[in-house]
Amino acid sequence: MSSRRSSSGAPTSAGMTDAQITDLVSKLQQLIPQLRSTHSDKVSAAKVLQETCSYIKTLHREVDDLSDRLSQLLANTDSNTAQAAIIRSLLM
Amino acid sequence: MASLESIINAPEPSTNNPETTSPDADSNPNKRRKIGHRTVAADASLNHLHWTSQSEQQIYSTNLLRTLRHVLRRNPSPSTTASKPRQVRYAADRVLAAAAKGRTRWSRAILSSPPPFNNRRMLHKKAPAARKKVTGLRSMRNGMEKKKLPAVERKTRVLSRLVPGCRKLSFPNLLEEATDYISALEMQVRAMTALAELLAGGGSPSGLAGESLS
Repeated sequence: MSSRRSSSGAPTSAGMTDAQITDLVSKLQQLIPQLRSTHSDKVSAAKVLQETCSYIKTLHREVDDLSDRLSQLLANTDSNTAQAAIIRSLLM
Repeated sequence: MASLESIINAPEPSTNNPETTSPDADSNPNKRRKIGHRTVAADASLNHLHWTSQSEQQIYSTNLLRTLRHVLRRNPSPSTTASKPRQVRYAADRVLAAAAKGRTRWSRAILSSPPPFNNRRMLHKKAPAARKKVTGLRSMRNGMEKKKLPAVERKTRVLSRLVPGCRKLSFPNLLEEATDYISALEMQVRAMTALAELLAGGGSPSGLAGESLS
């Protein structure tokens, strides 16, 4: 952990090498569904970061909705159904 | 049920799944650290593939379901514990972080954060501190130009707040953590969606076994 931090903690805000930063940014861009189709050199780092932030927020919201749904489902379902679900999930 | 206890109680990221001995080089975290700092980039790409595998998702779903049944059955007093969806979210995040096996900073941060308490207390604590910080920055900036910080830096700051445990990371490490975090979150969404459909419909098994949603 500490070795990782000290090795890449360069004084400038750019970090290590620009090439490595660009590489990471493009990797991030590939993950985000909105930016995946766009040609990588036409997208600025700021845009990638912005889309990343909004995508993470979207994912958080989805997880919250799903937890809400799951809490209701698990409260209503009886133990037999839940066990059947576990067995099914294990078998597949 | 030793694995359940470790996820719910102690902040121990590893050794809760005898089934997850995946062959791709994630056996020994200590070994990786000794190899050198520059293998970090290679690790990140390995982790990324790991979240998209079907077996990983199934393992997560199974663990999550077991944990949730345990958590929701405990019948805690409503004054001291958070609401049910909040508990579910907390458990889902912890099981997800446990699946990372302590290789990433965000997973370690999630596992070492305390369980959600009664909401009112936490809000009172956070709000005045947050307000102080913002007004301090603003009064400083009014002397100079209005938007002095470059856009990239502003967005980096926002990103560092969104990914748990990454507020003081350098930019490249933050990007790596964010990459892994996004893949993990996507798997979490896929698994929880499949689980919800399984519990609701009781119907087609294709939710878990077949197509991935992304």
